[in-house]
Amino acid sequence: MAQDKENTETGDPEIDYKNLDKLRQYIGETGKILPGRISGASSSMQRRITTEIKRARYLALLPYTDQHR
Amino acid sequence: MRHYEVVLLVHPDQSDQVPGMIERYGATIEKANGTVHRSEDLGRRQLAFPISKIHKAHYMLFNIEVEQEVLDELESAFRFNDAIIRTMVIRRKGVITGNSLLYEEELRDREKDMERDRLAAKSEADRKAKKEAALKEEASSDDGKSAENVDSENAELADEEKTSVEESE
Repeated sequence: MAQDKENTETGDPEIDYKNLDKLRQYIGETGKILPGRISGASSSMQRRITTEIKRARYLALLPYTDQHR
Repeated sequence: MRHYEVVLLVHPDQSDQVPGMIERYGATIEKANGTVHRSEDLGRRQLAFPISKIHKAHYMLFNIEVEQEVLDELESAFRFNDAIIRTMVIRRKGVITGNSLLYEEELRDREKDMERDRLAAKSEADRKAKKEAALKEEASSDDGKSAENVDSENAELADEEKTSVEESE
């Protein structure tokens, strides 16, 4: 299910590892990061999203998978 | 000097050390001519997955402007502090102030907790007040009876007096 392209600028402060609700839109049910072609984010946005999700994961704010223990 | 954002995860059993740690690291930074632009105590949060069999951690967030040597010093201090279970330092482009989204969440939680405590205290007080009121009512009804008795006695006395006055006439 492809989402509409989001017209967010590259300097969008909304994409941040602390903005969990926003980041949760870009992970699937299993906790995987959705690919750019599915999420509809532009490639530059997709790169920002992935780094921020990975930061949030490192701090245990988001899961790596739904298989945790 | 560069801008950094530091996140610390503290073991939940060492939660009470957190205000002290914020103060101590702030003092270290300021002594080295650095600046603390934002320091937040994000409180205890549920972890998305257990880290070394711990399910909760106390989060702290700092936005600081320091020299490289000071940052190295801080990082080694974090490493040798057993209460800190995980740290993340990232570079930021400029000064960041204002409450972070996680802190807003924490503040809302605290507000809710306080509201709940207040309600609990209020209902407790209400119950106490009701009890006291009931006790008082009992006491006052006793008083009322005795007062009535006294009144009726007085009335009798007055009647007697009246009759005596009439007789004398």
